[in-house]
Amino acid sequence: MSTSCGNPNAESDALMPRRRKFDRSKLCIKCKINQGNIVIRHAVYCKDCFLPMMYNKIKRTIEPTINPTPEGPRKKNLNPSGNLVIAFSGGLGSTVLLDVIYRGYFSSRRPRGETNTLSEGKDPKKERVWKEGKVCYVEVCGAFHGMRDRTDDVRRIVERYDDLEFVPLRIEDAFDESWWESVDLILSPCSRNGTPLSALCNYLSSLPAPTAIPSTLQTLTRLLLLHTALSTHSSHLALGTCLTSLSISLVSLVAQGGGFNLKEEVQEEWSPDSLSRSKGRSVRVVRPLKDIVMKECAMYAWWKGLEIVGQETWPGARQGISRITKDFIIGLEKDYPSTVSTIARTCAKLSPKDHAVGTCILCNRPAQPGVQEWKNRISIRSLSTDPPVSSEKASLAPYLCYACHTTLTSKSSK
Amino acid sequence: KVEFGGGLELLFDNQRSHKLTLPARVPLDNSTSSPPSSPPSPQNNEYEGETKPVDVAYLVHWLRHHLLKERAELFMEGDTVRPGILVLINDTDWELEGEGEYVIKNGDEVVFISTLHGG
Repeated sequence: MSTSCGNPNAESDALMPRRRKFDRSKLCIKCKINQGNIVIRHAVYCKDCFLPMMYNKIKRTIEPTINPTPEGPRKKNLNPSGNLVIAFSGGLGSTVLLDVIYRGYFSSRRPRGETNTLSEGKDPKKERVWKEGKVCYVEVCGAFHGMRDRTDDVRRIVERYDDLEFVPLRIEDAFDESWWESVDLILSPCSRNGTPLSALCNYLSSLPAPTAIPSTLQTLTRLLLLHTALSTHSSHLALGTCLTSLSISLVSLVAQGGGFNLKEEVQEEWSPDSLSRSKGRSVRVVRPLKDIVMKECAMYAWWKGLEIVGQETWPGARQGISRITKDFIIGLEKDYPSTVSTIARTCAKLSPKDHAVGTCILCNRPAQPGVQEWKNRISIRSLSTDPPVSSEKASLAPYLCYACHTTLTSKSSK
Repeated sequence: KVEFGGGLELLFDNQRSHKLTLPARVPLDNSTSSPPSSPPSPQNNEYEGETKPVDVAYLVHWLRHHLLKERAELFMEGDTVRPGILVLINDTDWELEGEGEYVIKNGDEVVFISTLHGG
């Protein structure tokens, strides 16, 4: 195979000079005094400028989402309608998010309603934004035999943050009627033998493909967090998804048939039903780290000495679409760091052609019309030329969005 | 001094910090198959053939062959560290110091941080 570039003017042994990883010089681009300590997307920052830069970026992302309605031309005080739940997975992003939110909006401010008699007046900037903050962790070890329970490790980390309540959940709570009753959701009675854990294992083992397992666990985790937020009178649920993780989840979502919900993957306003929405009972899901790449999170965690509990790799995850997508994008980020933000920016420009026709009963996200008709058109359902006889049995299919329908029905090729 | 963070220490006997001594000159092809006698003398050039000053690229290979206890593919990919692993040389991003070509000096601190625990 010829390795020549074909340019007759080039020397045959010429080597292409390596592309520089940073622009201009090694001096910090902000202070222009210190030597840089870190390169983020070709820009050089020193340690002293990096930390304030990161706080400001996160502040600019989260603060516009705090008030119930968007700000007009005049900037208003931060006044959310409820409390805050921070979702903690043990991963790098959520560890950083917890630390940043605590420092910026809890530890550095006095509780709401307290007045400092020595101060000149009630300065809203010195008051906590949310009255209460909770940190919610969902343990998934029940879904996989032999996986270590990390709840105690997570509890140890969260307890370092005073004034934040730790709320541990387990993934099998999604199959526990008493848990749903505790979050004020009344379910229709159903007869089922066995424990919530056995119900979860049966559900997962009946899924048609390995990719369906992480998708299902993500959906269940999201629902547990949302209902916990609603039942704790929280107006905001903060997730620690950084820009790298967001790009991975957006591409992975499209690959699994969830393109209709790209906007919700970035930010969504969720209510369990239309009645709650009409009463103003909703939870805003925000991702304050969505403009922060994974490298910035890692440097923040290192320089602040944060302990990362980590997330267990799910057995069989290597075969899943999410894992393959993650490996691809992490590799892309190494050589082309701007690509990751391009993915998120491009996805933000997309919007679905059709309007939603209701809510998926499984994932509680907007569902597009015509899912079953589309599936019938693109797949061979029968070798017979006779038209299919419609089944009399009740079916979930008409009430699912395309992504959930695919998760529950799409078989692995193996 | 070499440190591991972000969960990478699990691959290195769960030990976060290691103190190493490496020879001043090492094989050009990063071969670590015949380590020098301990303690190696910086004055002796114990390798035959072409050599280079000890650099971070050699350190990565050395760690892989002499300290890594399991799952080498989680630390290295090809000839360098796996994508998603940050390298700091004296608290500075190795991209500012020439990456694998940075020549290690006495007393340098190199930190390897994994970012692969997700968000």
